[in-house]
Amino acid sequence: MSLNKNMRIVIVDDYTTMLRILRNLLRQLDLNNVEEANDGDAAYHLMQKSPPDLIISDWNMAPVTGLDLLRNVRSNPRLKHIPFIMVTAESKTENVIVAKQAGVSNYIVKPFNADTLRAKIASVCPATV
Amino acid sequence: MQLPDAHGYLDRVIGELRSLNTPQKSTLVSVLEYLSDHIRATRNEIGALRRDGAGNQMFSSTTDELEEIVTETARATNRIMDAAETVENVASTVGEPIVANVLMTAVTNIYEASAFQDITGQRITKIVRSLQSLEEKLASLASAFGPLDGATSAEAVREGDAALLNGPQLEKTASSQTDIDALFASLE
Repeated sequence: MSLNKNMRIVIVDDYTTMLRILRNLLRQLDLNNVEEANDGDAAYHLMQKSPPDLIISDWNMAPVTGLDLLRNVRSNPRLKHIPFIMVTAESKTENVIVAKQAGVSNYIVKPFNADTLRAKIASVCPATV
Repeated sequence: MQLPDAHGYLDRVIGELRSLNTPQKSTLVSVLEYLSDHIRATRNEIGALRRDGAGNQMFSSTTDELEEIVTETARATNRIMDAAETVENVASTVGEPIVANVLMTAVTNIYEASAFQDITGQRITKIVRSLQSLEEKLASLASAFGPLDGATSAEAVREGDAALLNGPQLEKTASSQTDIDALFASLE
């Protein structure tokens, strides 16, 4: 399955290095329509202006965490349908359960590789054939 | 005399001083009350540093995390160096001198920057040793204070979403992506 090269992706992480890594990996997948945010609040404002096709977010950020962002997105009628992938070092069972209950589309544990990222994007973006 | 005894002794002395009809007593009582309060506060702070009573050392998780940083940065640095060496090998076969020079300069920069791992590794190791030394001293101090049953650490009172923010797990206990995928699928 090939990915939709034009999909607009919002990536969220408080570490600039990780945003750079994500952007580079997405570029290797020919996904260049990428916007960045440094925390959940900034990301939410960004996507309220124009809903993206995919959200890839870290969890552990301040002041608005990735979990807060996920809940905000899922409670917003305009945004609730958007696939949301959590990319985080939080790998405890309870974290995955809470994220799933909050409506996360998929879950990637840091450190991750390009193949995992590609597979998870493909799994949550079924329209991108 | 242990410090809990000293604290009780001070309180008794303060009580006896208060009962005396001496004009100079107020300054002495104030000083002793300050000492008494300070011992009580310090005792609570030492108690908060102690773990859950399961025998865990006070800074063991912190030193484990720091050592994990050294391991992870070493691993990452090795991968960076591997990649840089590959680029260097390719650069040597590039016919265009300008391109080859740019690649070689970039590789050199990577090599130079990779020295951070050695430097940070040494610094972290130094911090670990300092923490271990501090832990031994605090353990002695905590022992001198005797039982501190009432004290609780800030770590123990995290609840709700805040309790879910623990950062990366140590490699020996962390879930793999395969574990996460299996768990995630079981929740469908």
